[in-house]
Amino acid sequence: MILRRENLQTWKVAGLCISAIALLFLLILGAGASPMEAAVKLWDSAFGNPLKFSNTLKETTPLLLAGLAVYIALKAGLFNIGVEGQITIGALCTAVVALRFPGILGIVLGSLAGMAGGALWALPAGWLKAYRGGHEVISTIMLNNIASGLTLALVAGPLKDPSQEGTTTRDLAGNTLLPNIIDSNKWQLNLALPIAIALLVLFSIWLKKSVAGYELRMVGANPQASEFAGIDVKKSIMKAMLASGAVAGFTGAVLVLAFEHRFFHGMSSGFGFDALGVAMLAGATPLAMLGSGLLFGVLNKGSSAIQILGIPKGITWIVLALLIIVFAAIRYRKEGSHE
Amino acid sequence: MNEIYVVLLGTLLLSAPLILAAMGGLASERSGVINIGLEGKMLVACVITALVSQRTGNAYFGVSAGISASIIMSLVHFLLTQSFRIDHIVSGMAVNALAFGLSNFVDRRFISREGSSRFPHLAENLYLAIALLAPVVAWIFLEKTRGGLRLRAVGEDPNKSRQMGLSPVVIRFKALVMTGVCCGIAGALIVSSAGSFVDQMTAGRGFIALAALILGGWRPIPALLACLVFGFFDALQIQLQGTELAGAKLPPEFWKALPYIATLGAMAGLLGKNRAPSGLGKA
Amino acid sequence: MPPALKMDGISRRFGAVQALDKVDFSVEKGEIHALVGENGAGKTTLMRILYGSEIADSGVIELEGNAVQFHMAADGIAAGIGMVSQHYSIIPELSCLENLMLGAEPAWLIQKDEAKVRADSLAVQMNFAFDWDQHAEHLSPSGAQKLEILKLLWRNARIMVLDEPTAMLSPSDSDALFASLKLLAQSGATVIVVTHRIPEVLEHCDRVTVLRGGKVVQALPVAGSTASQLAELIIGKTVDLTPRTASTKFGSVTLSCENLTVKGYRGDQAVKNVSFLVRSGEILGIAGVDGSGQRELFWSLIGRLKRESGSIEFNGKEIAKNSVAERLEMGFRLIPEDRHGEGVVDEWPLEENAAIGLQRQPSLCNGLWIDQANRKEMATSMVARFDTKHGGLEKPISGLSGGNQQRFVAARALSTEPKVILAFQPARGLDIEATRQVYEAIGLECVKGACAIVVSYDLDELLDNCDRVVAMNRGKLFEPTIGLERDRKTIGELMVASE
Repeated sequence: MILRRENLQTWKVAGLCISAIALLFLLILGAGASPMEAAVKLWDSAFGNPLKFSNTLKETTPLLLAGLAVYIALKAGLFNIGVEGQITIGALCTAVVALRFPGILGIVLGSLAGMAGGALWALPAGWLKAYRGGHEVISTIMLNNIASGLTLALVAGPLKDPSQEGTTTRDLAGNTLLPNIIDSNKWQLNLALPIAIALLVLFSIWLKKSVAGYELRMVGANPQASEFAGIDVKKSIMKAMLASGAVAGFTGAVLVLAFEHRFFHGMSSGFGFDALGVAMLAGATPLAMLGSGLLFGVLNKGSSAIQILGIPKGITWIVLALLIIVFAAIRYRKEGSHE
Repeated sequence: MNEIYVVLLGTLLLSAPLILAAMGGLASERSGVINIGLEGKMLVACVITALVSQRTGNAYFGVSAGISASIIMSLVHFLLTQSFRIDHIVSGMAVNALAFGLSNFVDRRFISREGSSRFPHLAENLYLAIALLAPVVAWIFLEKTRGGLRLRAVGEDPNKSRQMGLSPVVIRFKALVMTGVCCGIAGALIVSSAGSFVDQMTAGRGFIALAALILGGWRPIPALLACLVFGFFDALQIQLQGTELAGAKLPPEFWKALPYIATLGAMAGLLGKNRAPSGLGKA
Repeated sequence: MPPALKMDGISRRFGAVQALDKVDFSVEKGEIHALVGENGAGKTTLMRILYGSEIADSGVIELEGNAVQFHMAADGIAAGIGMVSQHYSIIPELSCLENLMLGAEPAWLIQKDEAKVRADSLAVQMNFAFDWDQHAEHLSPSGAQKLEILKLLWRNARIMVLDEPTAMLSPSDSDALFASLKLLAQSGATVIVVTHRIPEVLEHCDRVTVLRGGKVVQALPVAGSTASQLAELIIGKTVDLTPRTASTKFGSVTLSCENLTVKGYRGDQAVKNVSFLVRSGEILGIAGVDGSGQRELFWSLIGRLKRESGSIEFNGKEIAKNSVAERLEMGFRLIPEDRHGEGVVDEWPLEENAAIGLQRQPSLCNGLWIDQANRKEMATSMVARFDTKHGGLEKPISGLSGGNQQRFVAARALSTEPKVILAFQPARGLDIEATRQVYEAIGLECVKGACAIVVSYDLDELLDNCDRVVAMNRGKLFEPTIGLERDRKTIGELMVASE
């Protein structure tokens, strides 16, 4: 029997899935734990009781926003690996402004400052891509490292809370925080989650139904054809990158205003990769990020829980990597290997 | 005088892993595979070198194992990009994430923390010699040999190369094995100069190496020079820490960020125009 | 003596399409054999199977009586088969010498001087001359074609396959090419020319095999056959080969260029001081070999490239500063050169592809939002226009064959009352029937008051379908003297004349 290319690809992907699962089992067994036990522990730590579930949602919220940031750029054909740096800068800007202006004003101005900071940090990458042909992945990796250094220098120097050992700012005043809309001793839900979901829904509709959304998708799918269709691709790339950076900056603002209540060095580490995963798993439907965001939230949340079983924390990175690999492989197979 | 000597020696020591990783990147990217996964390959080499050196008490075993592990990671990268045709950027990210996870896992589960965590290692001079020789060998290979010509051809246009009877997949396989070897040596060097494994101890060197490669226009000798410049600033930074420059105290982060800023400048065309291989990322 | 090449019962299926159905094909040593047929007849697939870059589902290949089996291009090359594909396999970033050797380097260490000696001796044999250290990107189309032939000689190819070798050459370069091929055939090589140009077959080839719908219709000697006989074999029914009668009744000047100069991507002047005008109702053909500046001219007419100097006027108004979007709004429509890269989004459904370039037309949007009902209606009429065969408007366009995609793209450009039709090789990938339909439709829009500019590398296609033909040559535009606007010899000379 001749193996046709399409069949072969299906078998290869199936083999990949099986190897991924086998690798995970082996690792868990190698750590001296039982995979079943680990799964139960993971489930319990994420959904075991209302408080745990509330915490999972809290973990999920910034992932949804960061995922949206990556997704916007991805639709324009850009890999914004720089959300990590944009979140960092956004968070720092928010913290500085919100510390200066307490109260509602601080929340509003802080959020705006965060968005501006994130957009500003995405600007060089957009410009390099649009007008200099520089690959955005390289430039955003560079910008991430610069952001990390810059914020560390600031938070170790002029912005440091003198009463603290670590590299952190002062805490925000109690009235400058994004409030919980549900706050009982069982359930907790911060305002940030509905905001994130609303943003996702609005973006999803805009992308599908508006002419501008159509144009953004065209730029991502075929920039050359877009030029001939009367779209200024360079400007579109700039706009998409700025929007992506602004949403990433807003993610930083939410981290500060809703969850951390301060800025400290290293608060956004790992977000870049998670956000890319959230966006990629969603594929063509932005609303699927609700699912992929929750999945990543559960995994991040659960990683500390399964450490008790002797499974090192690194396992979550492995799971996330395998998830992305498997999804990317399946997507390729579905889209077909024409030519 | 003594300070100059310290800075120069530091330059060599700090740039050696960058040079090795950049040569690994060169092999991969000139064959058309975008490689943002250098970091992960080095990291895996770090942890495996530490583990095996410690367990066997033999530095040669350790380094060989580290290099093999890095080759395996590189072959995972090969499988993802060439067999599953996953986007090269996504593949590279996944390889890095896998490496972060696996190295953390191996370190926590298998590296003994009892007594001294020290392990035997090879002489630093050996690494330095390899690092300085590698770009020269790479240049001769690329420009003067059949294999080099074919590697370049596949990197510029895989489809036309296939028409000429070459097999891009086989050539990229070999190239990525080479990437694994280079990153493996770089990782072994990093872990043996540090003395023990620490999470994410490669600390972005894979990306700096990539930056040097881009700054050098994907050519071995200019990439070597870029690595040396980066290494020099790093060494200078350590030397200058705390000293004042032009009346103001520059934070150490400024010096650390310098390679990244220089790369952005190069991308903006401030340092002349460089051309990437045309077939980068193409199936 | 057995034939140099014998292919027996070759079949190949792609999904639902039977590309080749028990094809028998045989070529004698020392002959120039033409393989003709419409686009999609299976010519290229058959040759790819011969070369080893495609594998047949069934059938046998014999070289001089010995059965062979190829699994990849390297096998075909090793057996002495050489292929020059339509788009050449020269890598522009490598030097001419590196291109010549690639895949067939004499030793692991490359010795340039030795290689150059052999390269020069091959070039002398063919009366060519090359600067071997030069980067191949500087080669003209005919220079590249020559390098391709030397590549075959370097590999000692005994059977040489040339796929549409004259597609991008001027008439005189084509003649020179065939003279070289005759030289090769006389020295014992076997030459197979894949082509759709009947005059070429009649003038230069010894035997011809006609393919239609994946089957061999007939193999016959060229001597004694006529153009209309071959055309009938190719299409399968009697065809009318008479050209479209040129119109002479034109309206006012719609589009005019004055001293237009445009910079190309390499920074050189790709379009130099070009002046011309097109009147409403007129179809202007621009002939020329590939790379003469047609691309840059088109790009500046649609607004994709900025001009360096000169003017472009539409209905008497200067528009050189207007963007692509503004020109689309004025009624400019483009049938792009590379429809895959410039005209469609592969993974999008036909319905979404129908709006590319028209997305801001009032009929397709309600303010900021897409009018999905109208878009669907429009897509339906677009596929109906030239009988585009498709599996549903919601299916991705990548599932369509090249010819059907071209039909769709052409229909889209003609769908919303165009004022200026810019068509770059509008018949690319189309069969004779569909080519006629598309030109008829362009003519129809012109009768309604539009004007059209058509670029093609096929001079005969332009002569048959345009009212007036001008030639581009190294960035300059040459107009034939009045009365000779459709004279083949005159325009052929303008295409290659040196200054």
